[in-house]
Amino acid sequence: MRPLFFLTGKASMKIAFGLLAALLATGAAHAEAEFDVEAAAGQCAACHGAEGLPSDPAIPIIHGQEFFYLYTQLKDYAAERRANDIMSPMAAQFDRSQMKALAQYFSDKSWPAIQTKTQEGDAQLAQRAMSRGQCSACHGEWQGDSRIPRAAGQQPGYLEKTMKDFKNEVRLNAAAKISVMKKVEDDEIEALARYLGDL
Amino acid sequence: MIVNRVTATFVMLVLAGLFQATAQAQDETSDSSYYGDLRNVDQRMLTRAAGDGNNFLHTNGNYEQTRYYPASQINTENVGKLRPAWIFQTEVVDSMETSPIVVNGIMYVTTAFNHVYALNARTGEEIWHYKHDMGPITTYCCGPNNRGVAVHGNKVFMGTLDAQLVALDARTGKQIWSTQIADPEFGYSETMAPSVANGKVLIGTNGGEYGIRGFVKAFDTETGELLWTFNTTAENSVGVWATHDATGRDMHRDIEAEKAALQEAGDPYETLGGGVWQNPAVDLETNRVYFVVGNPSPDLDGSLRPGDNLYTDSLVAVNLDTGEYVCHFQYIPHDVWDLDSVSPPIITTVKDGNGEDVKGILHGGKTGHVYVNKASDCSMIRFSEAMVPQEDMWTLPTADGARMLPGANGGVEWSPMAIDPTERLSYAINLHQPMTYTVRSTPYPEGKLWLGGSFDVIPEEQQWGNVTAVDYDTGKISWQVRTAQPMIGGVLATAGGLLFTGEGNGLFKAYDSKNGSELWRFQAGAGVNAPPSSYTVEGKQYIVVGAGGNAQLNYKRGNNIIAFTLAD
Ligand code: HEC
Ligand code: HEC
Repeated sequence: MRPLFFLTGKASMKIAFGLLAALLATGAAHAEAEFDVEAAAGQCAACHGAEGLPSDPAIPIIHGQEFFYLYTQLKDYAAERRANDIMSPMAAQFDRSQMKALAQYFSDKSWPAIQTKTQEGDAQLAQRAMSRGQCSACHGEWQGDSRIPRAAGQQPGYLEKTMKDFKNEVRLNAAAKISVMKKVEDDEIEALARYLGDL
Repeated sequence: MIVNRVTATFVMLVLAGLFQATAQAQDETSDSSYYGDLRNVDQRMLTRAAGDGNNFLHTNGNYEQTRYYPASQINTENVGKLRPAWIFQTEVVDSMETSPIVVNGIMYVTTAFNHVYALNARTGEEIWHYKHDMGPITTYCCGPNNRGVAVHGNKVFMGTLDAQLVALDARTGKQIWSTQIADPEFGYSETMAPSVANGKVLIGTNGGEYGIRGFVKAFDTETGELLWTFNTTAENSVGVWATHDATGRDMHRDIEAEKAALQEAGDPYETLGGGVWQNPAVDLETNRVYFVVGNPSPDLDGSLRPGDNLYTDSLVAVNLDTGEYVCHFQYIPHDVWDLDSVSPPIITTVKDGNGEDVKGILHGGKTGHVYVNKASDCSMIRFSEAMVPQEDMWTLPTADGARMLPGANGGVEWSPMAIDPTERLSYAINLHQPMTYTVRSTPYPEGKLWLGGSFDVIPEEQQWGNVTAVDYDTGKISWQVRTAQPMIGGVLATAGGLLFTGEGNGLFKAYDSKNGSELWRFQAGAGVNAPPSSYTVEGKQYIVVGAGGNAQLNYKRGNNIIAFTLAD
């Protein structure tokens, strides 16, 4: 399957939704037999990219992401602690050991380089929010560690969405993040997303 | 699970050790202690550590955990001449909480992410370096810390962030066995140093922030086999529906609502937390182990865990051979502030209510009190004056955040206290960090951070620290010294009349332990947030401390182990 590089914004998300039903059917078939991680991962390529470059700005890079973080997100999507129309049914196909296998598969890949344009003043706004939210206490240099996701070089569109999802209590799988992000203004979130994407 | 058991190798090493020991006896060269004869760390040495002015064999100095070092070569008269003897730089620049252990001139220190180094304690030269092969799943709240090793026989023991217990060969640093203590996916991790007594390695667990079921476990020193488990949350964790804490303050519990919640959801013990962060005190006379149990999970949300939440926020005694419950005393029933019990307990003689000397247990609480309990039945004799400002205790956490002092780091954090039994004083380091307490109820997230709200530092308010001496026979503060920043790390008292402790700004200081006057200071260049140790090699007493900063309070990181001795 070819990655949908040429699509951006809302349009691609609709297409992605359309793909979903078909993909889920294939997934179910695989779950019966011995788990074929390559085949299962093939389902992900449509959106997350065969080479790791996602097909849409609001889709995160998962190639080269931390194993434990990926595994946890799949568990949380399936349990609807992180409820998402696309990813929750996607993750619910797999049992824990299959989730681990997928997480291993993607964490073994290398992180793709993306181009991010920052705007003037982004660094200052980001720094202000980062010192208020004490981000570095957990995130260090943003490279990820086990349960802490890598955010350096992540897709800015996705980062912005997920930080706002924390703030607006849409993403509920990390309660502590809700309190942290509530202290960050929307313009700071947008600056942070570009700043982190450019690291 | 025991991964690796190398008994044959062990026997050969012991034999090799015998030869080495004989060679050393004949030839007193400077490295006679360098390859020190570790078979000598037998139970007798461990038992008599309180009087051993050469070695530092336990995390907190001795089984009683007094952190009172019996050597007095370095003393109030000459401490002004204390100078660095050597500086060892580890490979890991991160939070350092290690208590250096010294055995016959060899020092064992650990770093964040579970590295262990064996060093020549006289020169700082590296003998070996062990890096733990960390599993992919680790869950820990407060930095990738490690507080050090335990030693026994030819082995060095360490708990790991991925919740294993490893036994290393003290001569080579090679792994002899490893055991999985608990499942890190569900929030279990190890940062405490283990303790060893009578052939058992004792270790608790972190995880009170993740809905674990806490424990203290005992493993066989030779094989790593699990001998017993004491669960720190009782299957009936409800208790007596206490409305007041140990100091008599009203906790503002809604007992009716809790009873209804219990009716509906049952006893919460399986995810009730109760981590044990620090070493137990061991009383070989009565064959008991005393430890303190941390906060209930989720930290701030009491609605999901009705009852007193036994044995969280408690002093607990169990039988050393079997792990069977002996007695407990709960300082804070149904805690919703994380003002729990972490600083390791100390066994010493104290005056009881009638002025009679009895065996007592001291504990520095996050509330800011030193609690004095009776060893025989765990009951409380007294609590000290508050060492830090307390305001509006106990104000319940609210959805918008309610201010109450102390903030959630205490009081006294995990930092061990010390005592001077001749002065009958205990020494604690304190934090003053005003915070608000916010509650936000969320269901158990299967091993993810589960605070049930948040603790937030109030940025406009000033923070500081104290070093406080308390007369444990009266509960009165004997002296107190203010420090620029909240204190975390630990203290060491010595028979030289000194008290050593470090600060986040890199200062390492010596005080007169009688009156708190500052006698010496050294700028280490990174936060000194680890407990100091002392030892003597070739007739020279040393003071040693790690300077690696602290993740939790974000004090400047470093990677130095610094040993000091008197300038000639
Ligand atoms: C139809 C498009 C689509 C497919 C197919 C898809 N994903 Fe996703 N994935 C998304 C979107 C959109 C998000 C962001 C959702 C959100 O905001 O929570 C996401 C998020 C994730 C995340 C969270 C990453 C992070 O940084 O938090 C993981 C992990 C993930 N997907 C794994 C997979 C795996 C594994 C597969 C294949 C089995 C897969 N996805 C298939 C669209 C897709
Ligand atoms: C208490 C520790 C902590 C603090 C402080 C913290 N984070 Fe996080 N952050 C985490 C953890 C843990 C996760 C993963 C949550 C999960 O498992 O779903 C995370 C996830 C994230 C994500 C999602 C990444 C993804 O791929 O979905 C972003 C973005 C993020 N944090 C940004 C920040 C920013 C910006 C700050 C400071 C304003 C901050 N964090 C402060 C611990 C923290």
